[in-house]
Amino acid sequence: MTKAKNAILELQDVNFRYPDGSVGLNSCSMSIERGSRTAILGVNGAGKTTLFLHLNGILRPQSGQVLYDEASLDYGRESLHNLRSRIGLVFQNPDSQLFSASVREDVSFGPMNLGLGKEIVKERVADALHAVGLTDYADKPVHNLSFGQKKRVCIAGVLAMQPEVIILDEPMAGLDIAMQVELARILDSLHAEGMTIIIATHDIDFAYQWADTISIMVKGNCTATWQISDIANSIEQFGSYGLGVPRVAELHNALVKLRLSDNGNGYPRSHQELVKHLNEIVI
Amino acid sequence: MLIEQCAYTNRWRQVSPAAKGLFTSCGIVAAFVARSPLTTCCLAVIILAVAVVGARVSLFRFLKVALPAVLFLAVSAATLAVSVRWGGFPLRLQFHLVNKAELSHIALTCSRSLCGISALMFFSLTTPMTDIICLLRKLKFPEVMLDIMTLGYRALFVFLEVIHDTRTAQMARLGYATPRLAMRSLGILTANLTLQVWQRSNALHQAALARNNDGSLMFLEDEYHRPVLTLLTASCSGCALIALAMVPL
Repeated sequence: MTKAKNAILELQDVNFRYPDGSVGLNSCSMSIERGSRTAILGVNGAGKTTLFLHLNGILRPQSGQVLYDEASLDYGRESLHNLRSRIGLVFQNPDSQLFSASVREDVSFGPMNLGLGKEIVKERVADALHAVGLTDYADKPVHNLSFGQKKRVCIAGVLAMQPEVIILDEPMAGLDIAMQVELARILDSLHAEGMTIIIATHDIDFAYQWADTISIMVKGNCTATWQISDIANSIEQFGSYGLGVPRVAELHNALVKLRLSDNGNGYPRSHQELVKHLNEIVI
Repeated sequence: MLIEQCAYTNRWRQVSPAAKGLFTSCGIVAAFVARSPLTTCCLAVIILAVAVVGARVSLFRFLKVALPAVLFLAVSAATLAVSVRWGGFPLRLQFHLVNKAELSHIALTCSRSLCGISALMFFSLTTPMTDIICLLRKLKFPEVMLDIMTLGYRALFVFLEVIHDTRTAQMARLGYATPRLAMRSLGILTANLTLQVWQRSNALHQAALARNNDGSLMFLEDEYHRPVLTLLTASCSGCALIALAMVPL
């Protein structure tokens, strides 16, 4: 594993087994750069959720260590309180994360736990709901929202804590295309504000389009970390993990081989970028 | 669901739950102060009118929600008024109506209950559960009880969805085709639900930890439209109800 230049989070040879004996993490080492966008790819059961629970201090490594800001995590009550106010975790299933039946109340849950004053909490709740485009839904009951809206409430609940790092477990799962585009817009705006974002996903095309770095997890181990710029050059090697390859990179490579496209302005990362690039060549 | 819809869509949704709670309490007190069934029935109708005209709760919905409680009250009243026993020769069922004094006492008791039902319906149809929990928190109810209420209320909708999905999946595979299969499917559904309750409670615990919770559940309280004025109005209206209850009819 190559250590990131300005690592905000780091795992060093972390091992974790669940009480039933199943492997959660197996000698997992990983480094997350401050302000980066990292996608964790892996099949179901590869250990992505377990990894996230370690990063938030909910699970504790049985061996190895997790570092935040280059300091090993302290699992004392005060330190965990501090850690969890800086690292926000959005779970895959919104129904497993929403406590209150009221949108406003649920978003206020995290900031209230931070012991903030009522006025500050009100301000943070309003800002977080605005960031996810749910201001008009503040007084709605959670059970009347769609799945995508519930996911956005979960994200707002974490944003209201103003973390440095936001971790999203399968954020695109169960969302329709419009909701996915909307969520990608939200993630982009958070990144533009300097937030470090980590997501777990099965969607290789989205990961290729959105992330700066892709980490591959296999059986609890972080097998490889790729910079996005390196993937298109080594697409066959990337495909060897059995997680598929970004279709846009595959298509672009095929077009280059046929001399129908070139690598003039770097590799296109999305379908739209490829179409734009081809139009530019034709013109 | 009907109660939910009314509570979130009525005109007094943004009125302080304390004001609505106070009016409800006054309604219940008035029911006990009243000395005649006619007065208590009038009070019940007035409270219903306040809900329908003031909060714009649909009369049909109000009556529909109140119907099970009113039916239960009617059955209770009938069993109080009429006693049934085996007797006589040849042996047969004998019905005895209580005397007039007892009858008027039963009428007063039942009409008081009717007024109480009307008052509670007014409160539940105009106030969402989250507001009621918030009000109870202000009234210093035990935290544990309020946490259970919050989680229980939220879980109600989550598990209703789980039950609906599981039942639909079972029905799609003829799970309820015969009484025997229906019993089996119901058993599987119950077992599945039990497991889900356990798994989801674990997930909720992790989610609470992730959001820095290590004690009771705390939320931002809602702000209501002119709380002092509505509280004053509610107390005046409540006192008027009690005063009305004292008028002999």
